[in-house]
Amino acid sequence: MNFNDYVFYVLAAILLFAGLRVITSRNPVHAALHLVLAFFTAAGIWLLLEAEFLAIALVLVYVGAVMVLFLFVVMMLDINLDKLREGFWEALPIALPVGILMTLEMVMILGSKHFGVDRVAAPTPHPAGYSNTAELGRQLYTDYLLPFELASVVLLVAIVAAIALTLRDRKDSKFIDPAEQVKVKRADRIRMVSMPADVEIPAAAETEGKDKA
Amino acid sequence: MVGLSHYLILGSLLFAISVVGIFLNRKNVIVLLMAIELMLLAVNLNFIAFSHYLQDTAGQVFVFFILTVAAAESAIGLAILVVLFRNLKTINVDDINSLKG
Amino acid sequence: MNAIQSDLYAALPEIIILCMAMFVLLLDLFLKSHNRSLIYIFTQLGLAAAAVVTACTHNVSVVSYAFNGMFVDDPLSDVLKLMMYLTTSVMLVYTRQYVSLRDMFRGEYFALTLFALLGMMIMVSGQHFLTLYMGLELLSLCLYALVAMDRDNPRATEAAMKYFVLGALSSGMLLYGMSMLYGVTGTLDVAEVANALLQGAPDRSVLVLGVVFLIAGLGFKLGAVPFQMWVPDVYHGAPTAVTLFIGSVTKLAAFAFMIRLLIQGLYVLAIDWQGMLAIMAVLSILIGNITAIAQTNLKRMLAYSTISHVGYLLYGFMSAGTNGYVSAMFYIMAYVLMTLGGFGIMLLLSRKGFEADNLEDLKGLNQRSPWYAFLMLIIMFSMAGVPPTLGFYAKFAVLQAALQAGFVGLVIFAVVMAAIGGFYYLRVVKLMYFDEPLDNTPIKAPIDMKVLLSLNALLLLALGMFPQRLMDICAYAITHSFQ
Repeated sequence: MNFNDYVFYVLAAILLFAGLRVITSRNPVHAALHLVLAFFTAAGIWLLLEAEFLAIALVLVYVGAVMVLFLFVVMMLDINLDKLREGFWEALPIALPVGILMTLEMVMILGSKHFGVDRVAAPTPHPAGYSNTAELGRQLYTDYLLPFELASVVLLVAIVAAIALTLRDRKDSKFIDPAEQVKVKRADRIRMVSMPADVEIPAAAETEGKDKA
Repeated sequence: MVGLSHYLILGSLLFAISVVGIFLNRKNVIVLLMAIELMLLAVNLNFIAFSHYLQDTAGQVFVFFILTVAAAESAIGLAILVVLFRNLKTINVDDINSLKG
Repeated sequence: MNAIQSDLYAALPEIIILCMAMFVLLLDLFLKSHNRSLIYIFTQLGLAAAAVVTACTHNVSVVSYAFNGMFVDDPLSDVLKLMMYLTTSVMLVYTRQYVSLRDMFRGEYFALTLFALLGMMIMVSGQHFLTLYMGLELLSLCLYALVAMDRDNPRATEAAMKYFVLGALSSGMLLYGMSMLYGVTGTLDVAEVANALLQGAPDRSVLVLGVVFLIAGLGFKLGAVPFQMWVPDVYHGAPTAVTLFIGSVTKLAAFAFMIRLLIQGLYVLAIDWQGMLAIMAVLSILIGNITAIAQTNLKRMLAYSTISHVGYLLYGFMSAGTNGYVSAMFYIMAYVLMTLGGFGIMLLLSRKGFEADNLEDLKGLNQRSPWYAFLMLIIMFSMAGVPPTLGFYAKFAVLQAALQAGFVGLVIFAVVMAAIGGFYYLRVVKLMYFDEPLDNTPIKAPIDMKVLLSLNALLLLALGMFPQRLMDICAYAITHSFQ
């Protein structure tokens, strides 16, 4: 075994542990943090597979944005932890055998019989100076132009949908509109009221009329 | 010596963990969303491993798009979750039972 | 024309729909609430423009590829796209009153509908796993949001959450299957996958593993048993306008998706997926028809009816021959027309604060309005497959194709189940004609909706008597698109 193999086994163990903790931990915050750990180790494994750009993108996009969004929502919502765990243990006797059976079948098919070292040779490493990012970029903007444009539409839909679902006008918000303030005319604010002059006390009636205006 | 099958088995284990997670956490929507992310991670690992051993970048490009779509998907999922919470004041699927088949 | 020009030319209808979706989104910002109907008019104009362009750029019997072979413009895609514009446009007419009474008449509703349509058009024209996947996700994301659009309605939000979780799960399965196929064939292009498989792929068991996951994902999206659990809840919980959209137009896209993946890509593995489809078809017809009898809610009943219709559709695929695909395409067209009519009547009867989605709301419809009761009668007969209607001919064609492929036992089973299924459709007819109405509120609807709904139901009758024209179109689309 060479150094890369040790790295793979260590990272794989951490990845599986983190994955198990995501689905079993009591607290959604812990689950989210273990998912962050899973993404980090997965990025490490992708580096072993010479997918440098995607490894960095996984850390930046997932750990940096998506998981922060998850944590934000978990903390924003007031969650009753005990209620969430109800039924967890009842489902276990069914879920566990199903999971183990599924794994065994998949491992049998994916094992060394079809994809072992003797069947699929290790690829020659890329020469020095090869840029994974440049290669992906070239393909994205030429061969994969249509999916690339579609990805932009998908992101636009996500923005539109998220805003349409959650944005609400507050009924109690108080705000001023400067344009409306500027447009105000004298006539909008004051009203000239003509009152009949009181003949007996002329001086007092005049000041009262001015006050009104 | 680590070969392609090791990566694929790791991917299948991760996939199985996420499926079991979806079964176990049927009541906990937020962990459900995380299990789905885990499932996509398993798929991505498969694609990258194949792409590496086939020496073909198409698999990596596919992963790029899966990452993009998954980010958009989780944004919409969390938006629905927030609206759901606002309406029901709970994210416990047990309380979500006005629709019965 | 150079390469990029011809690419853009092939995707012109998609570009029009995309531009119109963004235009509607922007226009909505500048409109006061009293002239919101402009959005509706522009949406309809966009659909009409796309239809004209699709029809004008249609080259008879020519299959042309664009965007590096990822996108195809063939007779099948043109026919299906034209049908999609028509259905979406009719759907918008039917739902206009419904959404404006429920505070959903917003730019987002129309923009998301157009984006969803764009996703379906991409699915119809996809020739690469990546394009197909992007189209599917574009459609799904729009649908999740549309279901939750009536955001103060807890039932709708709940339905959206269920739809979202199961939809994401099925995407994951679909992707896992695709990754296996990629690993064995080394390519993601549908045509190249087919070529690689023809040359004899060594790892049969890996391929079967991939196909199992692929079929499971497809089963979820189609709503076939045993992956049907989301269908009744989503149909019931979603606003009727959105249910109509999910129930009708998206099934056209699902049909195209199956054609592209299973028949164009994995035809060599037909022996493997035939069996899985057969199991799903039989179970869908059984569970769909039996469970529908127990329903008291019209939307849930139609949901189970959809499940059984999916079963009949799979009969067409299962026979894995040109006749089968043609009959499946005919079936999906007939199904879409019937669903439009059925939900159209439901939307017609609904008012502000009243959904008309219970079976008893149909009681005595004949006394309230003999004409609409007659239209509903035609629609129900067509869904049940009673002879002079389109539904009968569709079922007949599908079962005939399955018979030719040698599935005698399964065909007998399907015929028996169709007879049992007839019961719950006839119950609706009985409620309309022999029961006393529960409320006598006059039926109010815009004139365009009344005319279209009448045409829609009468078309079921007319096409049932003269199905040959529609059959010819389906045969043309299938036989000239691939061999």
